[in-house]
This record gives sequence, C-alpha cells and structure tokens, in this order.
Amino acid sequence: MGLSIDWSGVLTGQPLHWLLSGLAVTLAITLVASGIATVVAVGLTALRLSPVAPVRLATRAGISVIRNTPLLIQLLVWYFVGFGLLPPGLKAWMTGDHPWSVLPGQVSLFAPEFAASAWGVGLFIGVFLAEELQAGLNAVAPGQREAAASQGLSGWDTLAKILLPQALRNAYQPVVGQYLNLMKLTSVTCSIGLAEITYQARQVESFNSHAFEAFAVATVLYLAIGFCLERVLLAGRRA
Amino acid sequence: MGLDFTIIVKNWDYFLWGRTFQGDVGGLLLTVLMALAAGTLSLVLGIGLALAGWLGPRRLRTVLTMLADLVRGIPLILVIFWIYFLVPALFRTKVPGALSVILALAWFSSGAVMHTTLAGLDALPRGHREAGITSGLSEGQVFTALLLPQALRNLVPSYVALFASMIKDTSLAFILNVPELTMTANQVNTRAQIYPAEIFLFTAAVYFVLCSGLSWAAHGLALGLQPGHGV
Repeated sequence: MGLSIDWSGVLTGQPLHWLLSGLAVTLAITLVASGIATVVAVGLTALRLSPVAPVRLATRAGISVIRNTPLLIQLLVWYFVGFGLLPPGLKAWMTGDHPWSVLPGQVSLFAPEFAASAWGVGLFIGVFLAEELQAGLNAVAPGQREAAASQGLSGWDTLAKILLPQALRNAYQPVVGQYLNLMKLTSVTCSIGLAEITYQARQVESFNSHAFEAFAVATVLYLAIGFCLERVLLAGRRA
Repeated sequence: MGLDFTIIVKNWDYFLWGRTFQGDVGGLLLTVLMALAAGTLSLVLGIGLALAGWLGPRRLRTVLTMLADLVRGIPLILVIFWIYFLVPALFRTKVPGALSVILALAWFSSGAVMHTTLAGLDALPRGHREAGITSGLSEGQVFTALLLPQALRNLVPSYVALFASMIKDTSLAFILNVPELTMTANQVNTRAQIYPAEIFLFTAAVYFVLCSGLSWAAHGLALGLQPGHGV
C-alpha cells in the first residue's frame, strides 16, 4: 500500500479555499440550472400538447436529439458555438465587469463557462424532466382535460392549473430523481473549465498530489448536497 | 451561419478510428470498444448481484440496494478520477485511461443492471413459481429453468437502453485524454481552430445515430418480444 493520508494537505490554506469556492459554484450552478430545467420542462410539455402537428413533431425531434447525444458534447457545442452566436452587445456585456455577479473563486455568473454550463445542464435535464412529466400526464384521466375545456379554461390554464399539478403528483419521485441527477451532472462542466467542486479537486491534486484526500472531500460534498437536496424536495411533496 | 464540412471530409478516418493503424486504438472505434467492454462487465456483475439479492436472504437484498444507491449518488466523473488516481497509489501500477473509464462505467452501471433485473424478476407472475413446484421441480430448477429465462427475455430492451446511455457516458473519457470520439473531435478542433460548429455538430450526429438507432432497436425488441410473437 503506497497510500499515506494527510488531511492537512486539503483542509488548510489554499486547497481548502479552492474546495470551498468550488462548493459555492456547484451550489450556484445547481440552483440556476434547476430553474432553467423547470422552465424548459414546462415549456416542452406545453409544446407537446399543441394543437399544431408540426409543432408537436419538432418538439419530439428536439427532445430526441438532446436525449441521444452526450451532455459533454452538448456543453462543448454551447461553449464553443452557442456563445459565438449571441448578439455582440450581449456578449460584450456578459464578459464585462459585474462585481455583484462574482461568486467565490472569481467565477462570474455571466462568464461563458457558467452561462454555457447552466444552459447546457438545464436544457439536458429539462428534457428528461419533460419525459417524467409526460409519464405523469399519461396517468391523468382524459376527462380532466375535457372537464377543464368545458369549464371554459384556456389551453394554458388547463395545463398549469389542472394537468401539471396532477402529473407532478403522479411522477413526484422520478422528478426529484432528475433534480438530484442535475446536481451530480454539474460535475461534467469541469471539462469546459467551470471551477466547481470536481475542477477544484483536480486542481488540488495537481498542486500537491493529495489525490485521495481531495477526491474524498469532493465525494463527501456531493453526497451531502444530494442528501440535503433530496430532503428538501421530498418535504415539498407534503407542503 | 455558413457551415463548411470539408474539415470533416479531410479527417473522417481520424474520427472513425484515430491512430488505430499506428498502434493506438482511437476514435469512434475506441468509443464502441469501451462501451462493449463496460457493458459486458456491468451485465455480468449486475445480473450476478441481482441473483444474489433474489436468492439470498432478504437482508442481503436491502444491503445491495443501499450500496447501489450510494454508488449512484457519486458523480460518474468522480468515480473515473478515483480509479485513475487511486489504483496506482494502492498497487503501484499505472492504469491506462481507457481501462479506468471502463472500470468506472462498469462500477456505476452494474447497480442499474441489478435494479432492472430485480424488477424484471419481481414482475413475473407468482403462479409460475408455484406451477413449477407443483410439477416437481426443485427451487433451484424453478429459478434457472423457468423464472430466469423469462425475466431475461423481457429485460433485453431495458439492457439495450442501458447500453445506449453507456455509449454516451464513454464521452467522459475526454477528461483523462483518452483518444475516443469526443477527444478526437476536440483534437481536430484545437488543430483547426475555426470550425468548432462543424466538428462538434458532426460528432453529436455520430452519437445521435448510434444511440437513437439503439433506442429504436430496443423499442422494436420490446414489441417483438411480447408473448405471442414467438421469438
């Protein structure tokens, strides 16, 4: 066994600072991407119920592309291609100085790495969330939709007030699973240079070779965030 | 936006097999080989664990399920780093990047295979076991001759779907500089500099064809394997 463990190489000074700022970035990206994923999921569900057939077809095609390609490739596309397609004014604003938007570790909420990561992970999980919602929706009796329509509710009101709450109740557990998955998948964003937990653990490893300690801390952090997130989301069901 | 795909045409062989003929397996070929190796390993491991959980005492199944949940609670990318950095520290041998990824994928996915297999066994009607016992078969015979073959046949589509997601996960080998499809694309992008859209969209298309093809196959299999279709 060639393993000697020295926690002080990770839990003091610069390495500790790196890991803590990584934790802050992971929490921030999880929060922002969850918001994006939620909006994407609801939007896709609405589009799938559209009365216009080409809209439904295009939505299905888009979902299929996101589901059948790796998240990493999608992140590379958003980072290397998507960012370049933004209007020049927006790009200049995003890369400009916004002291209020800077997270610990000098990561700006509008930096291309953060924006591409939040959008990429949010869209990816949003599609899987939409699939879970669809499964929940399939279990809602067709009469519900007809009853809402005969009460004079608009298409959007029917979805938001009648169908989605029931779909969510039917698919609560898998939906929670997708948000947990989102949190874990934020680790992939280290490959386009977002300084979250995994990125910082690697940085510690190349700084002082304390690979075991650094990855142990990272692992515990992910398990702890996952544990807390699951508690919070499952408490939401009772509320 | 005008796209110019000559960069793909010029490098198509590099995308497909990298430097395989120079003795360094790479490109799409390496992606498929890694997925096959990890798929086989996790199938064997996962079904083995499911059998242990099904046939063993109730408590064993609870422990196995808890362990599988714990494994899935850790991001795959961290599992890859664990294997890549820790095995050398423990055993003083270097692990090639591709092997680290294969082992990490197998470790990560065997839990999913176990869950799926147990669900398949749970889904069989109780009467089958009882009919077997009444016909004079032993518990062991009932399991190997009656329950397992039925469950496995029903499970083929789920296994194919798991394999498709495994192909996508091999792209994470990128972080260890393993020259599989995603890394290959990144190398071509770094060399060419000005064609990221063409290169990454093409790479996405390759994964899409592979994975959606498998999804369709799984769907077709699910229909074909339903009772009454005589496979």
